[in-house]
Amino acid sequence: MAAEEEEAAAPPQKRFYRQRAHSNPLADHTLSYPSRPQDMDWAALFPSFFPPDAAPGTAPARVEFVDVGCGYGGLLVALAERFPQTLAVGLELRGKVAAFTRARIRALRAARPGAYGNVACVRANAMKHLPHFFRRAQLSKLFLLFPDPHFKRTKHKWRIVSPAMLAEYGYVLRPGGLVYTVTDVPELHQWMLRHFGEHPLFEALPPAQLAAEPLLPLLPSVTEEGQRARRAGRAPNSAVFRRRPDPPAAAP
Amino acid sequence: DESLFVYDCSSAEKQPLGEKGQDGKGTDKGSDDILAFAFSPSGDYFALTDDNKRLILFRTKPSWECVSVRFVNRRCTSLVITAAEDKIFVADKSGDVYSYSITEPQADGKLELGHVSLLLDVALSADDRYILTADRDEKIRVSLTKAPYSIVSYCMGHREFVSKILVIPNCPDLLLSASGDSTLRLWEYKSGEEVHCCQLSTICGPQATKPDQKFTVSRITYCCQGGYVAILCDSIPTVYIFQLDATARQLVYKEQISLKHKGWDIAFEEMGDLWILQEDKEAPLLLYRACDGQWKAVTDDKGLQKMSKYIQDNWTVFEGFVGAESYYSHLYKASFDNMDEYLQRKEERLQQQKKKKQDLQHASSGQAKKKMKAEEPSL
Ligand SMILES: C[S@@+](CC[C@H](N)C(=O)[O-])C[C@H]1O[C@@H](n2cnc3c(N)ncnc32)[C@H](O)[C@@H]1O
Repeated sequence: MAAEEEEAAAPPQKRFYRQRAHSNPLADHTLSYPSRPQDMDWAALFPSFFPPDAAPGTAPARVEFVDVGCGYGGLLVALAERFPQTLAVGLELRGKVAAFTRARIRALRAARPGAYGNVACVRANAMKHLPHFFRRAQLSKLFLLFPDPHFKRTKHKWRIVSPAMLAEYGYVLRPGGLVYTVTDVPELHQWMLRHFGEHPLFEALPPAQLAAEPLLPLLPSVTEEGQRARRAGRAPNSAVFRRRPDPPAAAP
Repeated sequence: DESLFVYDCSSAEKQPLGEKGQDGKGTDKGSDDILAFAFSPSGDYFALTDDNKRLILFRTKPSWECVSVRFVNRRCTSLVITAAEDKIFVADKSGDVYSYSITEPQADGKLELGHVSLLLDVALSADDRYILTADRDEKIRVSLTKAPYSIVSYCMGHREFVSKILVIPNCPDLLLSASGDSTLRLWEYKSGEEVHCCQLSTICGPQATKPDQKFTVSRITYCCQGGYVAILCDSIPTVYIFQLDATARQLVYKEQISLKHKGWDIAFEEMGDLWILQEDKEAPLLLYRACDGQWKAVTDDKGLQKMSKYIQDNWTVFEGFVGAESYYSHLYKASFDNMDEYLQRKEERLQQQKKKKQDLQHASSGQAKKKMKAEEPSL
């Protein structure tokens, strides 16, 4: 899109990107997503990591971090600063919000050439599209920051944490990979603790390692939703879960 | 044994009204229509599920008998019995697969795995090690039967719902799938690698009545003897026959059998006889036999005559399905979105801004800059 590119230099204005708080993750949206992971054009999202003059035979860069429901992109910006060599992608279901975050990253790249090239946002439905984008055991970190709580019982199936989704997170994460969760909704925190706790592919990070986890202190306040919670005086609850080894004979 | 076994679902036990299902939801009244059924690989067991959410298990030897009537949570779309004949796996409309014990025929179901969209088919590898599930999005998921939370692979590539899957019994690493995208595909399913894709529109296209005719496979049947694959497509009165070239891992189109009526179901016998059930009271059942690589209708078969008469005498059972609507048409994605409109408006806005910027080029831009900064989301 021509104009979207030209817009690059200016930081986006949020008022042009507002959208209803919830989008039904089980509905059919007109999203474009690759049919298979090998069909995804990652070079278009991370051009600086796909130089045209790369030596033949060098393995193409691969996304390792995924921010599920990245919203306005606060975590991605922080990841760009802390892990400038690791590709991180945010998945956001709401089109306008994803468009904002893309514009935000474009503006940051334009303002500081050479930086922010490792983060990108795509509009996608994480509940349906993870295996379209990622291969088995491709990821090392997955972030679920302030996911929508969907309080009503009938809407629990919209929650981003469920037995079905945990099997998919287990599929895209490599053994030893980590899932970070933060929420200001105690009920949802309990729900996530319970589901990850009951799932055979995950275990809570042991306390000693949790204490040493460098990202943990950052996560509650790094995103827009985290700041909103803090302003409203709602305490964040964080947790980290580790992908356990595969059961025998699961790896092909 | 000459006599036929008849079991009338309408007289079978029903779930008491108002009783809560396993998921705590009230039950809604259904019909006695059978939604899915399957034999065990040896043929010793047969199970069916119906619109009343019953799961009924039969033993077929030494003679047919009903073993148990159980209740499932949701309406089921497909079921499969293990080669070990110890379990039934039942796939349902909410995307879940439950297992039901055969050795404990009254036991409740156990949730084994779930998709976020409805399931259309479930299959097992010949050795029961892998369970494969096909959903209304484009996915085929391969999981370990003993640890179904562990996903071994996804077979990705279909562009619409996956209507049917079949692990080739005598090529145990190969999976055949069919989809609303009018393709048949062969997969090395443990790695998820697609090894062959067959566009049905190019093979079956010339006969199509409409230019945008979809070939949504509603039935697949396979015959180990010769590696023949026969398919039936939704609302098309034709059976298409292919042959599997196991070495080249390809499907080779062989021929088609035109029907005078809509096909309802097809099944190969072990030695290659092909049964066709069609929507016609006068000739509900057809039998085709391969001779010199050509499929010819057989009319003087005793079994055919007996079964045809039986179906005709009980036509009331089938009548309700005559002229039934397509089962698949509502599964195509009727997408909704306001993104296009939004992007168009955004493009217009950007053009306007650009113009404004050009107009203001010489004016002081300090004010504007400050404003943008204020609106940039804080970190
Ligand atoms: C409460 S916001 C939190 C956003 C961000 N993580 C933060 O902390 O500021 C939840 C976000 O998840 C997005 N979301 C919900 N379901 C999603 C899905 N299935 N796939 C992708 N994004 C989703 C919503 O659109 C929303 O922007």
